[in-house]
Amino acid sequence: MDTKKREIEVRGRKVALIEAGAGAPLVYLHGFADVHGVAGDLLAFHRGLAQGNKVIAPAHPGCNGSSEFHEGNRIEDFLFHYCEVFDALGLDRFALAGHCAGGWIAAEYAVRHPERVTRLVLIGASGLFVPGEHVGDIFINSQPDRGTSLASLRHMLFASDDAPEALRYYPDGRGELDDEMRRYGMLRFGSAIGFKPPYFYNRPLVERLYRARMPSLVVWGADDHMVPVAHGKAYAERLGNGSALTLIAGAGHAAHLEKPDEVLAQMKPLLGA
Amino acid sequence: MSKPVQLFCWHFMAYPYLPADFDEQYETGWITVPNALWDREKSRGLLNEYIDQLAYADTLGFDGMVLNEHHQNIYGLMPSPNLIAAALTQKTSLGKIVVLANLLPLHGNPLRVAEEYAMLDNMSNGRIIAGFAPGGGQETFNYNTPAAIQREQFWEAVELIHQAWTREGPFTFEGKHYPLRYVNPWPQPIQQPYPQIWIPGSQSRETMRQIAKRGYCYFLSSRVHGGAIAKARQEFAKILQDAGSKYDPFRMGILMSAYVSDTDEQAHEESHEGVWYFLKNCLKGHLRNFNGRSLTSGPGIPNMELSDYRRLLEGSKPGRAMLGDADDWDALKKAQSIIVGSPDTVYRQIMDLIRETQVGNLLIQFHLGNMRDDLARKSMRLFATQVAPRLRDDSRVAFASHFAKVADVS
Repeated sequence: MDTKKREIEVRGRKVALIEAGAGAPLVYLHGFADVHGVAGDLLAFHRGLAQGNKVIAPAHPGCNGSSEFHEGNRIEDFLFHYCEVFDALGLDRFALAGHCAGGWIAAEYAVRHPERVTRLVLIGASGLFVPGEHVGDIFINSQPDRGTSLASLRHMLFASDDAPEALRYYPDGRGELDDEMRRYGMLRFGSAIGFKPPYFYNRPLVERLYRARMPSLVVWGADDHMVPVAHGKAYAERLGNGSALTLIAGAGHAAHLEKPDEVLAQMKPLLGA
Repeated sequence: MSKPVQLFCWHFMAYPYLPADFDEQYETGWITVPNALWDREKSRGLLNEYIDQLAYADTLGFDGMVLNEHHQNIYGLMPSPNLIAAALTQKTSLGKIVVLANLLPLHGNPLRVAEEYAMLDNMSNGRIIAGFAPGGGQETFNYNTPAAIQREQFWEAVELIHQAWTREGPFTFEGKHYPLRYVNPWPQPIQQPYPQIWIPGSQSRETMRQIAKRGYCYFLSSRVHGGAIAKARQEFAKILQDAGSKYDPFRMGILMSAYVSDTDEQAHEESHEGVWYFLKNCLKGHLRNFNGRSLTSGPGIPNMELSDYRRLLEGSKPGRAMLGDADDWDALKKAQSIIVGSPDTVYRQIMDLIRETQVGNLLIQFHLGNMRDDLARKSMRLFATQVAPRLRDDSRVAFASHFAKVADVS
């Protein structure tokens, strides 16, 4: 499948995009272990989504070639950024899917502009405050142990620290320079929106989820070591249409990388492809 | 005749009562090191012992005493250096009191820092050197300050304090992070126009540029060897020149540690326990890469611009040895950061460093790790009586030639 990379500009900032497929538009907002967050191009999962939809995957500010948004340091700033991005792309009504911090932004957008979001899919999404169930500290775990080991970061992002995808994108020592820079850009973006409070939540969001009444799906790796499954339950219970939580056995936080076919199989009926 | 090198006594105030097998049993000395290890009985009087060592430095004729701010660790029991500085204003009368630094993004309202430094300047009769720093990696975790906006917050806080000391109040500060309708602090500092301001940096050019522009003093906080210090000094001198100013040795400071005894052998013997306690316990989680997880800088503390980070990656290898990775005295000697020996040895090594680096403010840590009070005092005394006078004499000459060179250029 052909993927098309291009750039648009909003408010003087460059936004890198990857597009693929044809059909009803589906905007995909990435997380850490994901396209733009570490990988330079779409992965099997995103290509699967593009079988039947036009997938549009913008890179967050500072990630994979997108300009940093220096003035932005609250989730609200980045929601306005995405309002501009969607307008610039001429997207009126579209399906919206997101993973991790991208899922958080997707949920925030959906409660503000439910009329524009036809479907909502959240995969291991952060964004909620769930008492006693804390999102893991990706920042401390991005610091190598004993100088070079990233085993604890891999464990946080995948079902196990020796999963092939984990070792491909988060090897001990030094990874590919471009992968390292994408990871850094994503951490810097994450730090701006998701460090204070610790980590990755906007306390009022859970009370606002009722506004997102579009058909939705909440998918979680059963062994998510970063965003506890309790967050998936909270999303599923509180979203306006009372979605069910779908757990993917044998997968961790990056369920869509570890078990792409299983996640796609859950999403396809919703997306109507 | 130039001013001589300025010699400061720095106290880190380490926690000295860790179990002997701490390095084997615990992952880090920072942030998550269990505070159940704090021994209330043994620690009774500890902070006063440390304060008294600094007061002793004042009687020995050091040019000043240095304090720093760290949180939730065994490396430095000084989350509020201003409290220690307040004690020193009452216990000392001669040297500068250098607070290096208040970590501005950790203070809810930096106006409070302007006020406290002004109080300290009054209480010490104008002896405060005011340090400002953004805080290292550990402190982003300790106080939950987002690394991505740490520097932006920091420079805004610096601007607020600078204005609070130099503009007539009341005025309004239209800050992004610290908007204030009324800025009008009482008291004002004694020193005019304001106390000397020192800002630490670890070779970031942007930090140097800001310091140059604002007329402050640059403190190189990295523990690096003489060649790297000299390189940082050259960069800073160039940046000063670009800003229409000139380098002189007192625009810059460096950090080092020293232990002095009667002979080299005795110095190694006496300092052995303290030095290795400092390296293996206090630096675990900080300047130690091969054991534990260093949280000082790296991808998890994303406070650098993307382009700076790329440059850093291109110019470095992962997992390099840091000061705390030194395993023997030879390795330590090569690092040039902890200088141990007889008065003659210490004099020679420091004088070489002064000649090589042309830096005029030496901030020297004497008490290391769990060093006994009597040994720390002995080392300070020998330094003050047998090393410092020679360094002062010879540095005047070394700096004079340097100033002449600067004069030639202009």
